[in-house]
Amino acid sequence: MSAQLLTLVLVVIVALGFDFTNGFHDTGNSMATTIATGALKPKTAVALAAVLNLVGAFLSVAVALTVTNAVVSIQNSDGTPDSALTADHGSALLLIILAGLVGGIVWNLTTWLFGLPSSSSHALFGGLIGATIAGIGWGGVHWTGDSTKLDGVVGKVILPAFASPVIAAIVSMVGTWLIFRITRALGEGLNNGGFRWGQIGTGSLMALAHGTNDAQKTMGVITLSLIAYGSWTDLSAIPLWVKVSCAVAIALGTYVGGWRIIRTLGKGITEIEARQGTAAQGSAAAVILASSQLGFALSTTHVATGSILGSGLGKPGAHVRWRVAGRMAVAWFITLPMAALVGAGTWEIGNAVGGGLVGALLMVALLLVASGLMYARSRRHPITAENVNDDWEDPAAVLEPSDPVAA
Amino acid sequence: MFTLFLQDIWKVLLYSLILGAGLPVVYALGVRASALGTVAADGAETAAVRRRQVLGKTVAGICFAVVLAGIGLGLAYIWASGHGDQLSFEHGSPTFVPKS
Repeated sequence: MSAQLLTLVLVVIVALGFDFTNGFHDTGNSMATTIATGALKPKTAVALAAVLNLVGAFLSVAVALTVTNAVVSIQNSDGTPDSALTADHGSALLLIILAGLVGGIVWNLTTWLFGLPSSSSHALFGGLIGATIAGIGWGGVHWTGDSTKLDGVVGKVILPAFASPVIAAIVSMVGTWLIFRITRALGEGLNNGGFRWGQIGTGSLMALAHGTNDAQKTMGVITLSLIAYGSWTDLSAIPLWVKVSCAVAIALGTYVGGWRIIRTLGKGITEIEARQGTAAQGSAAAVILASSQLGFALSTTHVATGSILGSGLGKPGAHVRWRVAGRMAVAWFITLPMAALVGAGTWEIGNAVGGGLVGALLMVALLLVASGLMYARSRRHPITAENVNDDWEDPAAVLEPSDPVAA
Repeated sequence: MFTLFLQDIWKVLLYSLILGAGLPVVYALGVRASALGTVAADGAETAAVRRRQVLGKTVAGICFAVVLAGIGLGLAYIWASGHGDQLSFEHGSPTFVPKS
């Protein structure tokens, strides 16, 4: 096996690793409220979400080859890699992609450790932007589109990030308020029973949409690497094994369940009951589907979080924990730059030892060390399917997951 | 670009309000209607109570059917985005057309 092929194998494995973190980071987006209200048992909910993510990933037949074009210029508009980067089996491009993926994974794990729902797409784009700046220069980043369409970092990432939680919160607030008006004469039992299926249905729709949208990104990145290496030439199809492995990786991640994040979403922002869960998930599903139909992709995480917040605002007398919401907002704003920083740093380190296979191996070693440390840190206060729904305010139950200095 | 964004985002808000708040509200109406006739104070099953129950179940059935149609539309959107198509309402009923 040649050094270049080994590098490619590393890129593919790390990309699938990113897909896996993408899965568990976002389980909460579709299932946090369903779990918090007890509409489904935690394990059942994550299993359902995993299956729907798997199905969703296979539904994405469209070829998302140009996924990186939104933010960086490492490919041409037809999907082929930039010819300046393809010499020597694409090793320059592979290193940029690898460093970008490392940035995305490290940031995903960091926010997971603190129980913060942050956007996996922002983490991936951030990592790629950082690695591109380090590898090609500032000119390699696609900051804005032309005046005819929304594109680039500003149009496709930053503006939607500001708008999507606000829109989702408004829709969910209106929905929650109206639902409470309509059903206030009914007892708690009737409401919880009646809205159980509403929650399950809307949560399932979210999980399916998530699988369709997010698995595509990793599929695109892997296929781009294969083309750069020279082992794939078809621009109108994705290799079947790439599709299958990406679908399985995101489904496995979803099934593992990012319990720390699920807890923040389901218990931390506001106390949720079934009616709010239905309103929140219904609003989130509608915002995501409407926006992707109108041509711009919103982050499922931002939309889901905004919706849950809105369901707290719309319920008469409910209490929203603004401290938790504020900490999440901070995490969103720094996700892109922080992942970019890690991506750029990773590329510099890999480049300092001469790039190529040695650089790639060093990058992967650093990733493993960082992931291992964070996993070990998480075991000190583990959050699992058993304690995910414990009272948020009760310090004896679990330490607040987003407190970085909790001893 | 900013104005372009505002134009689009208004549409997202509008559609989302109709579907994302509207459908859950219809669902809530269904839940409310299905409980009609079950809150008789004395528990006696008079003809009036039974009429209310039938009315309630009918209204609830219609509401849930509307919600199911909405979910079907959502599934169609997911299917379309996965296949690189978009839904067109040019002919009244939704049809799949290749994304322009």
